[in-house]
Amino acid sequence: MIEVKNIYKSFEETTVLTDVSTRFEPGITNLIIGRSGSGKTVLLKSILGLYEIDQGEIWYDDRNLVEMPEKERKLMRREVGMVFQGGALFDSLSVAANVKFPLDMFTAMTSKEKQKRVEFCLDHVNIETQAFQLFPSEISGGMQKRVAIARAIALNPKYLFCDEPNSGLDPETATVIDKLIQSLTKEFNMTTIINTHDMNSVIEIGESVLFISKGEVCWQGTNKDILHTKNEKLNDFIFANKLYAQMRKEQS
Amino acid sequence: MKFFFHVGKYFKLLARVFGRPEKHKMYVRQLFHEIDSLGVNSVWIVIIISVFIGGIMTIQFAYSMSNPIYPHTLVGLGTRDTLILEFSSTILALIMAGKIGSNITSEIGTMRVTEQIDSLEIMGVNSASYLILPKIVAVVFIFPFLFIISVFFGLLGGLVTGSIAGVITIPHYIDGIQWLFYPYYVTFSLIKSVVFGFIVASVPAYYGYYVQGGALEVGTASTKAVVNTNILILLFDLILTRLLLT
Repeated sequence: MIEVKNIYKSFEETTVLTDVSTRFEPGITNLIIGRSGSGKTVLLKSILGLYEIDQGEIWYDDRNLVEMPEKERKLMRREVGMVFQGGALFDSLSVAANVKFPLDMFTAMTSKEKQKRVEFCLDHVNIETQAFQLFPSEISGGMQKRVAIARAIALNPKYLFCDEPNSGLDPETATVIDKLIQSLTKEFNMTTIINTHDMNSVIEIGESVLFISKGEVCWQGTNKDILHTKNEKLNDFIFANKLYAQMRKEQS
Repeated sequence: MKFFFHVGKYFKLLARVFGRPEKHKMYVRQLFHEIDSLGVNSVWIVIIISVFIGGIMTIQFAYSMSNPIYPHTLVGLGTRDTLILEFSSTILALIMAGKIGSNITSEIGTMRVTEQIDSLEIMGVNSASYLILPKIVAVVFIFPFLFIISVFFGLLGGLVTGSIAGVITIPHYIDGIQWLFYPYYVTFSLIKSVVFGFIVASVPAYYGYYVQGGALEVGTASTKAVVNTNILILLFDLILTRLLLT
């Protein structure tokens, strides 16, 4: 479980997050949604500790990240997996070496054990053996995202963060990635936080949805309630897409 | 004011670079990779440049010392001392700042803008140390060897070009390169090579590590890195010459 309590974050004169409080439960997919520039990425990076917050608390189960010394933070980060928007795979390493990297860096596993773990992770994200020795530039965007997910779960993390994991992908591949993240979350009982502005993801896997507007929490609920909300800001965000406006009309 | 800001940030980065590595084995592996990509891959260009410059210097020395009152040995001596004291250490470092320096800035800068550095940080890896330390060690290690290679091939270039062009005979040239030889000049230039190696690796790494934006900004950072590395090399050349040679 991850809980944020009354966090504030500003950059020089600009306030980006104002009094944000919420709780992200394990075993379900927690989505943060909002327009571009609403503060989603700042919130995600603040929770990760990549940005120092001005005020508030960030709890990883019973550990407060804000008061954690740097050394302890580094150790805690080994419990965190992150899937970046562009995949952020290391260009100079092959697919298998990318997944093996955290194992090489932080475990005392034998090479056979590492090999087994790499195969296990890549198999879980449906990457075929023939692709193991390819480099990131030689595989498709969807495959890169899947390899990034495999790398993120290599150390068996308790917390998984995904920053717009399906941006730049076709709708079919995007759904595959969404479903994959959801099934891994359930299988390994991870606390998963996904940053997105893709409404398809919200409908498909939004078991818990947090809507942020201008750095403030505007609405929180599930994908089941989102189409029936009376929150104006959220409605403006969702029904900017005519398809969802049509869906609501049909449902009502 | 901005200058002091960058100096402070640079030293703060260096403090992180020389932090305790997470796993020595990974750093050693990375070090060998860097020695190969930054050092060994530069050997050919060093040889080509040194052979040509050695040859050109020999012809120019022979031309300016064509007056019979100068002994023939001065041509070899001039070529040797110019190569040892300035060309193979300083000028070569300026050339390497263009080759190795821009390579380091664009590599690290691209990793920054594609979030690969954030990815390392989130894993709990000291990204500054993992990415920059092996590069600094590799370049500092390889620079003295490049200096020696450059002097050798520069002298060889002078010998071959001088004799083919007919401006000096081989015995005169060989006499010249052995005449009034001070081994301290080599020590002095080796010290300069080590210092320049550190500058050539660390300054571009700084520019790459803190780049913000996209491909355009990486290009701009690369240019800034090369320009500032060159200025620093010349400044330290002056300081070291004043301290160690006069």
